[in-house]
Parts: sequence; C-alpha cells; structure tokens
Amino acid sequence: MDYDPMIMDDAEALGPVVKISQADSVRVKWELSNTDMSFANSLRRVMLAEIPTIAIDLVEIEENSTVLADEFIAHRLGLLPLNAEGVESLLYSRDCDCDGCCEHCSVRLTLHAKCTGDENMHVFARDLVPTGDRINQVLGTPVITDSEGLGPLILKLRPGQEIKLECIAKKGIAKEHAKWAPSAAIGFEYDPHNKLHHLDLWYESDPKAEWPPSEYAAWEEPPQEGEPFDYDAVPNRFYFNVETAGPLPPDVIISEGIKVLQQKLAGLIHELADEGGDGGVNGGGYNGGGPRSPEYGAGAGVDGFNGGGVHNTLWRRRRRESERVGWRRGGDGIWDDAVRGGEQLVVRGTLARRGGGLLTT
Amino acid sequence: MAKAKVKKDEPTAAEPASDVVMDEAPTSHQPEAADDGMSVDANENEDDIEEEEDEEEEEEEVQRVRLLPGSTPTAASFEFLNEGHTLGNALRYIIMKNPEVEFCAYAIPHPSENKMNVRIQTFEGTTAIEALQKGLRDLQELCDVVTDKFIDARERFVAASSS
Ligand SMILES: [Zn+2]
Repeated sequence: MDYDPMIMDDAEALGPVVKISQADSVRVKWELSNTDMSFANSLRRVMLAEIPTIAIDLVEIEENSTVLADEFIAHRLGLLPLNAEGVESLLYSRDCDCDGCCEHCSVRLTLHAKCTGDENMHVFARDLVPTGDRINQVLGTPVITDSEGLGPLILKLRPGQEIKLECIAKKGIAKEHAKWAPSAAIGFEYDPHNKLHHLDLWYESDPKAEWPPSEYAAWEEPPQEGEPFDYDAVPNRFYFNVETAGPLPPDVIISEGIKVLQQKLAGLIHELADEGGDGGVNGGGYNGGGPRSPEYGAGAGVDGFNGGGVHNTLWRRRRRESERVGWRRGGDGIWDDAVRGGEQLVVRGTLARRGGGLLTT
Repeated sequence: MAKAKVKKDEPTAAEPASDVVMDEAPTSHQPEAADDGMSVDANENEDDIEEEEDEEEEEEEVQRVRLLPGSTPTAASFEFLNEGHTLGNALRYIIMKNPEVEFCAYAIPHPSENKMNVRIQTFEGTTAIEALQKGLRDLQELCDVVTDKFIDARERFVAASSS
C-alpha cells in the first residue's frame, strides 16, 4: 500500500508536524507546522547563532611577503569553514585547564607556500594542513566541496612571494563571531499569500503582478476574492530552508539546533531545582512553597509569631550571616529531591554542561 | 566571585518585607529570645558545613535566574541573565498555554544589558515558580517531539527518494 504522508499528517492534527520537501548534502527545505511562531523562531535563531563549530581564531604569521596585510589574511582564514564533526568533544578553550591551547581545546593548522615558478600562484584552503594531535581525523580540516578539491581561494602569490603561518582553530558559536555559524543561510517563511498582512508590500500599480509568488504559495489556500480579514488568524506553517556552509551537514544543523535549545532549558531547569531551596531564585523575596519563610502575605506577621515567626527570624538572620560572608547556602531535604529531579532532566538533554566539566550521555 | 556579587543584590528585594516582620516580633518575649540564641549557634554550625559544600560548588556557573523584588507566589517576575528572545518568546508562549496561568510576558528591558525578564501571574492552583518550571519542561518536551518528528520525516524522505 502506498503511504501518503499528507493524509497521515492531516489526520494527526495534534502536536507539531515536520515535512521535508527537499534534502541534499547542502540544504534541507522543510516545513514545521502546528506550532507557534515563537517556537519556530527560537529554532531559527538557535540554528543561526548558537550551534558550536570550529573556526580559526588565532594566526601567527612567520613570513608574509604577499601584497596582503597580515590581519587581512588572518581575517580570511577565520572565515574558512572547517569540518566540525566531533566538535562536541572539543572543549571551549576558556574551559580548558591548559595554558592557552592544547589538543583538547584546539586544532592547529599550518600554511606554507612560496611561488617559485614564473606564474602567479594560487593558495587554496587545501594547502592549509592540520598538524599535531586531534580529537578525530576530520575535526578542523578545511571544508572542500568543489570538484577540483581546492577549497576556497585564500590568496595569490607573485613569483618570489612567500606565506608561512600557523593557525589555532577553536570552538565557538556564531553569537560571538559569525565565522562560527554552521549555516550559510537559514530561510524562514510563513503565510505565502500574506493573508495575515504581516507584510505591507510596496508596489507601483499592482502588487499581484509585481510580487512573484513564493514557492510555497501553492501549498496554502489563496485568499478568496472579497474574503474578510480574519482577525483571529495566527501563522501556523513555517517553511525553513537550512543551507550549510560546510562544517556540519544540513540535517545535523537542525538536530543540533534543537539540542542546543534543550541544553539551554536543561541548564535552567537544573538551576531552578538547584537554587530552589533558598538562596537562589527565592532569595529575592520568598521561599517558594517552603514552609519556613512566610515573609510575604497578610498572615505572615501575625500567625508566624510563635511558630513560624521564630523560625522566620532565624532564617533571615542565617541568611544575612551568609550574605555577609558571601556564602551560598545549600538546599535542604525537600529540595534535594528536586535537585535530583533536575539532574535527570539534564541527563536527558544529550550533552549537558555543568561547572567546567562536560557530561556526555 | 561573580556569584557573590549577584547574591548581594538580592537582599534588597527581601529587606522591606523582612524588616516589617522583624519589627512586629516582640523583643521581650523570653522563650523566643532563648530559642533564638540557641538556634543561631546551631545554624552557625550548619553554615560551616554549608561553606564546605559551597567550596565544592564554587566551580559552578553564575546564578542565571533571579526573582525580582515585589514578587508574590502567584505573581512573580524573573530575571534571566544571558538569555534573549530565543528563550523568552518561546517560553512565554509555552507558559501561556498552561491553563493555570493568568498572564505571562517577557521583555528585554535594555538591548545593551544581557538580561531578559519574564512576568508570570497564576491562578490560585499553582505558583509562578511552578509555572516557570513547568514551562521549561514543556518546552523541552516540545523539542523532543520536534526532534522525533524530524527524524521520522528524514527517514521517510530518504526512503521515498531512494525507492
Ligand atoms: Zn586546552
């Protein structure tokens, strides 16, 4: 029997739906529906800016007799896409115990080229050679996708000119510098017929003639002639176009994006559970649900007088004491359970960061 | 170190409320005073223990969520450090889906401060903190579902294009 995903998806109106319309080694075009724009946008933002990859961060130039300035070349090197496979086991160099950089937090690449012939020489990304120990044999290797196997052009040498340098590639995210972006672009589109009027399309005489329809226009019902504006309508179908720059395959960008979002959540869940006891979130005003500190509310001053009141005063004094010394107060029994609960959730988010160490699951 | 700094800000939030209660406690109430003294000692010991624990924990990240002054159990504002629209908007949406929640909104008060505020007001059945925690868990669940659906869709796509 032929399987028709359309029928299946329509019947299954509960929960988000994912449909892939095109996928190859460079891009994935997919649709996320039955969810809110805020979630779809979070996913877009996280794929664009928060997936860790590896890029050249430091360059030591030993010899540069080219026409290009050192910093110009360093900038070009930084923007080269490097293979990020296995980057999850690389440490951020700020978290590494080493002094500067080592094989646990960086990849070294060298470039040495001299034009000895009498024709201008082109230096490509393939001439950038990883050296020293690496976490795996591909991490940090320049991405080469052209048929000749050259990679991007870095610079050109005239006869007699020479370039010799060493690069240190580090792990990072695009929020810090765009060179760490795994994607070339992330297309994000909704409401192809502009039924919701989120866009105010500029036109000379006829917007229909001047604005070519989106490729997704055929996927959605066009507005009927004279159809009244639906004030309650909200966007429901989101069309993504994830195109990789090379460091990660496009489908991995999507799954890594969701993973990063989950790690963000796991970290916060963990922190809330951790801090829940007293000093943390509740320190600002009250002890969330805890019986000891009815500091707010009408009843607090009166019935907290004999019973709770004593404890209340003590609790506050203890807190003052610990604030003075700058201590952080540990949790009590009730919250320890919550902490454990939190930890479980952290473990569920595939890769969790706690303190300086990496926990992988 | 940064942790200590963050913590120092907090008492401001609690201080007005706690002072009021303190003043209302009668200073001449003997049993209470005695109790008080004893317990303070006990607490100091406890603090010593806690101090050791704290040193172990010292490596942990800076506290990133803070309860803002003026919060009550059912109406609270939270301040998130180093978070933005990425978390804020999705969290707002998922918290608003909770039927126990009366109101939820987020704001980034100033673009050059890396802070994001979330306001949550709930009905009597739950507290703002619980609603926040539930929101985070629900969002994580949503992520799980989308991951599964994406993997499914990819498998289906691969199967369809190879056949
Ligand atoms: Zn290192």
